[in-house]
Amino acid sequence: MAASNQSVRRLLWSRFTWRHWRLAPVSSILLLLILSMGVAAFFSIRLANRAAVAGFQTLTDLITSESDGLITAPAGTLPDSVLAELRTVLDGAPVNLVPVLEGNAMRPRRDDNEKFGSRPGFHLLGLDLLALSNLAGQAGASGWGGSKKESGKPGRQNVFQSALNDSLGVFISDALARSDGLKLGSELAVVVNEHAVRLHINGIIPTLPDRPAPPQDLLVMDLPALQRLTDKPGRLDRVEFVLEPGPKRSDQWRVIRRRIETANSATAPHWVIGSSADRRVAAGTMTQAFRLNLTLLSLLALLVGLYLVFQGLDGAVVRRRHEISVLRSLGVTSRQIQAAWLAEAATTGLAGGLLGLGLGWLGAQVAVKFVGQTVNALYYANSVHSASFDFPEALAALLVAVAASTLAGWRPARLAAETPPAQIAARGGTSQAPAGKFLARPDLGCGLAVLGWLLTFLPPLRLTGGGRLSLAAYAAALCWLFAGGIFAGSLLAALGRFLQWLRLDSVPLRLACSHLRAPGGRHRLAAAALVCAVGMTAGMAILVASFDTTMRGWIARTFQADLYISSDGAQTASSLSRISAATWRRVVAHPAVSSANILQVMEINLGGISTLLVGNHLGFFRDFAHPAWMEPPLDEQVFRADKNGELALVSESFSDRFRLHRGDPVELPTPSGPRRVTIAGVFSDYGNERGSILVERRNFTNWFGNELAVSLILSLKAGRDAETIRGELRAAHPGLGIFTSGYLRGEALRIFRQTFALTYALELIGVVVAVAGLVFTLLSLLWERRADLATLRALGLRRNELAGAAALEGALTAAAGTGMGLLVSLALGWLLVHRVNKQTFGWTLQTDPPWIQLSLLALLVVASAAAAGGLAGLWATRLPAEREE
Amino acid sequence: MKTMRQNTLCNRPVRPSLSQLAAILLSVTLAAAEPHSATPPAHSLPQPGRKFVFPRDHGSHPGFDIEWWYVTGHLLSPTQTPFGFQATFFRRSLDLPDSGRSTALPAFGNSQLYLAHMALVDIKTGDFLYQERLNRDGWDAGSATNTLDVHNGNWSLRIVPPQDGPGAGERFLLRGTVGADQSFALTLQPQKAMVVFGTNGVSRKAADPTAASHYLTYSRLAVSGNLTRQGATQTVSGQAWMDHEFSSSQLGAGQVGWDWLCLQFFEGRELMAYRLRRSDGSTDPFSTVAWIDTDCRVRQTGPDQFRWTVLEHWISPKTRTKYPALIRLDAVNPDNGRTNCFLIQPLVADQELAARVGGVSYWEGACRVLDEHKKEIGRAYLELTGYGESLKGKF
Repeated sequence: MAASNQSVRRLLWSRFTWRHWRLAPVSSILLLLILSMGVAAFFSIRLANRAAVAGFQTLTDLITSESDGLITAPAGTLPDSVLAELRTVLDGAPVNLVPVLEGNAMRPRRDDNEKFGSRPGFHLLGLDLLALSNLAGQAGASGWGGSKKESGKPGRQNVFQSALNDSLGVFISDALARSDGLKLGSELAVVVNEHAVRLHINGIIPTLPDRPAPPQDLLVMDLPALQRLTDKPGRLDRVEFVLEPGPKRSDQWRVIRRRIETANSATAPHWVIGSSADRRVAAGTMTQAFRLNLTLLSLLALLVGLYLVFQGLDGAVVRRRHEISVLRSLGVTSRQIQAAWLAEAATTGLAGGLLGLGLGWLGAQVAVKFVGQTVNALYYANSVHSASFDFPEALAALLVAVAASTLAGWRPARLAAETPPAQIAARGGTSQAPAGKFLARPDLGCGLAVLGWLLTFLPPLRLTGGGRLSLAAYAAALCWLFAGGIFAGSLLAALGRFLQWLRLDSVPLRLACSHLRAPGGRHRLAAAALVCAVGMTAGMAILVASFDTTMRGWIARTFQADLYISSDGAQTASSLSRISAATWRRVVAHPAVSSANILQVMEINLGGISTLLVGNHLGFFRDFAHPAWMEPPLDEQVFRADKNGELALVSESFSDRFRLHRGDPVELPTPSGPRRVTIAGVFSDYGNERGSILVERRNFTNWFGNELAVSLILSLKAGRDAETIRGELRAAHPGLGIFTSGYLRGEALRIFRQTFALTYALELIGVVVAVAGLVFTLLSLLWERRADLATLRALGLRRNELAGAAALEGALTAAAGTGMGLLVSLALGWLLVHRVNKQTFGWTLQTDPPWIQLSLLALLVVASAAAAGGLAGLWATRLPAEREE
Repeated sequence: MKTMRQNTLCNRPVRPSLSQLAAILLSVTLAAAEPHSATPPAHSLPQPGRKFVFPRDHGSHPGFDIEWWYVTGHLLSPTQTPFGFQATFFRRSLDLPDSGRSTALPAFGNSQLYLAHMALVDIKTGDFLYQERLNRDGWDAGSATNTLDVHNGNWSLRIVPPQDGPGAGERFLLRGTVGADQSFALTLQPQKAMVVFGTNGVSRKAADPTAASHYLTYSRLAVSGNLTRQGATQTVSGQAWMDHEFSSSQLGAGQVGWDWLCLQFFEGRELMAYRLRRSDGSTDPFSTVAWIDTDCRVRQTGPDQFRWTVLEHWISPKTRTKYPALIRLDAVNPDNGRTNCFLIQPLVADQELAARVGGVSYWEGACRVLDEHKKEIGRAYLELTGYGESLKGKF
């Protein structure tokens, strides 16, 4: 019996499923393509996310092999005196201390009007090159201690040259050497802080056996040389601990860590003890909400794809009903039919998934650029330019594809199994689409709409590290998409009845309305799919437009001063490039300068959540940045440098993230001990989502003991031309990037728009999928009606009239779906602007639907549907009354 | 205990081996760093009649180009497990052009370079474990100029402040590790007075009169302390040899390597032998054997007073270098004019320090000393250099 079952299944597969696929290759391929697009969207976003997280490089791991632990300062940098202190604390324990300083370098500006971020940058990694040879017994680093002297390799000759005799000596990656044709002794022109220097190539960074090759943008320098170059004498970013090889390494580290912790707690804690893994986890946590948001968006795109699979399989059931009846008459059980159908759905999922993996990988190469840029701008420096294929992610995407496709095929399979043998005679009769019942229940739609509304009141999910995920808002979006789908069916029926009521003297219109006034499940499904696609697409467009409008206002308000100056090596928010005090004092002393704001920025950690501490002149900030207040200061005290020692202003993101408001105290970690300030006001800010806390620069300098500035903002005396002064300053300080407010406004807007570029790709996918779905539906419906069409032809209807009826049917279905989709998009837009965006980033945006863009979208969809319907109608009129697909 | 004795027999240069080694290890790297200007920097030269003052002269002498502190010894655990150990701290001044750093004590200096070797041999198992370390002067390596306090990473050799009141004698504390699993903290107590090799406090090394050093040695120290092997700590005791030498000399031409030996007889005397090898295989005229009496009197003899014969060889599996493995030393005893025969036999064959950091591989290991009747009469440490490649031209 089992053998018999097996043979029936094989027969069903080869003579039924596979034969139909071969007979209708175009629709089969189309179905696979649609599914693959959904999978591709999901997979590419996942890969891009993964690459962006991997882009947080623990660069020292590439050179020294992974360290066992590390210490950093609670805020800012460590003094290098910490090294001797640690050696004493460790009391002869066999552990290598690896001091690390990092920095950025940028290629010099070639074009005065170049775009921000268009120049390739470099990561500077400062290590004690001589001491690296002591790690030769470790898993790696042997390349630094070896005695090879062949060209380019860091044999002793090069290492000693760099470490002891060459304050501009540098080691580069093999990739950079190849791409730039650099050799031993070549020079590499870069800008570090405000210094335009020519680094000397002293060798190639060796690749450790079990590590990826050093990235192209990595430059390794001797640590004291980098301290001088970055104006950080005597400062370290961290000290890493590399234990000697031996058994029970983790036990050893525990003992050593305990010693450090004991010493740290003996006085006021001045070290933060962690590990490379902790740093990677922290980076992952920092971007978790951002990545989850993207994943959820991509899953919504997949949802549209699933509508299509459902429609495709449902259509196939209709087209093959006659055959199923015959099979049933021949003794094939309904269970076997259902199994064959489910197998087809799963196979479609698998094939579409596999195709999606390929497309997704290609898409990831594009997506990673945008995700990487956003991560770079908002979170941390990363240098990822490509996303590598990841098998676990691929497997997950494939499983999602197969599971979703099988799920979508479940009802069509049941429908196929329920086809009775006696139905042979009833071939061609209208069939109820499987989702008809669900989609024909406005009460359910109302329930879902209300449920969605209630969900919008729920707070976001708070993740470790300060990230927030608007899970309830996404659930609300799902509810509204389904509700909109249901209402679209009702709208379609109403539209059909209304047009019939008009009694227009048009045969095609009457014919179309006859199908729509009591729309079947298939029509409702097509309209629902359109609601989903158009709703998402237009909702995203509303978010982007609202963001754009808000940003333009903010940028126009914020950039009111005359000149903005930063290191020419600083191109992103995460840049480590600074301007030395000597230089900014010279700039500020220019006779044309009326007043100046010196900005100092330090990343700090408040209760395990990373944020930015900004030192500036708060009075200048008020006068020239014109902040929009969410909670305005109650008096002027915070703006007076002589009275604001214990006051701070915070951005809206900070307030949301830490749930702190005006009047609340904040304890800031500083190298000189914790400092307590009170929040005097909350302002809106769109510069970062981690939040900023602003204090008077004088306090910042005292607390952190350095005067390195991130940027200078200059207000010029009346009558002084900004461009002229810019030219003078540029000539005097070639290592500085000096911008007028006009240029900076344009660039700021461009960068913000760039971060949304990814959403346009998702929109495009949504529209293509939705229109393709509608075509599918129309083809299925016309196939079902081929006998009717033959009859109508016999009764004298012309082909173009039949095609016109099909075009109208498509256009009206599209109009109902699109109309409802636009309504849903307004709700989704509101949800994205006021819930998802606010909850995730802490940014309040001004809602501004792009009406023209939305109208064009609607027109495009309806016109495409009409055109596709017309073509499908022409195709259908050529169908014989009896034909196998 | 701060007494010293002038050697009186001859003015032959003695014991330049470790300074040579230091010079080789460091000069290879420093030549690469191109630190030297056309005019040699003005380093101090050893001066005859120098009055050594302690503990100051245990410390560093930055005016001299090269300096090293060297301890070797034999240990026994309570279970009679024998061990040998070697600890070497090298200093080399760099004389680099000023690179803008003028801080007195920077964390990352470039005025001195410190190289160190730490080795432990487990005679019972035959395991030979060693490690090298290279650091610039600064936070992780340095040496005090007023007392013995030299360190490199977590390794250190320091004088221990007298705890038993004045006259208790000086002691030294050596702390070393090899990898994560081997460590020792050993207290070294001189059992004999310090000796100063050379003539009038100056040990000449070559025909060039500037090639000379100050060379101070404790030829016998009692050792006690703890040794951790594979995570298990045990008390150990034994005897050690400790050298301290500083110079600014370069070695002479024509030399390709040397064999050096410090021998502690059970009956209380010591012998130091140094055989400088020339490129034709002959013994250099500056080679010597020094006899140290129980009363610390030093007498040195020239190459005509000893014969060095290699009886067996051993080939290193790591570097494929062929080293002498059994040596017969026939030396004329200046006390009685009779020739004594000593067989120097390594306790473990593989005691080669294959260079990863320093650039020069050499063999340095614990040996037993047998007389002509194959009776064990003492313990020794033997150093063999220049066998893998000629050291000619490297310094």
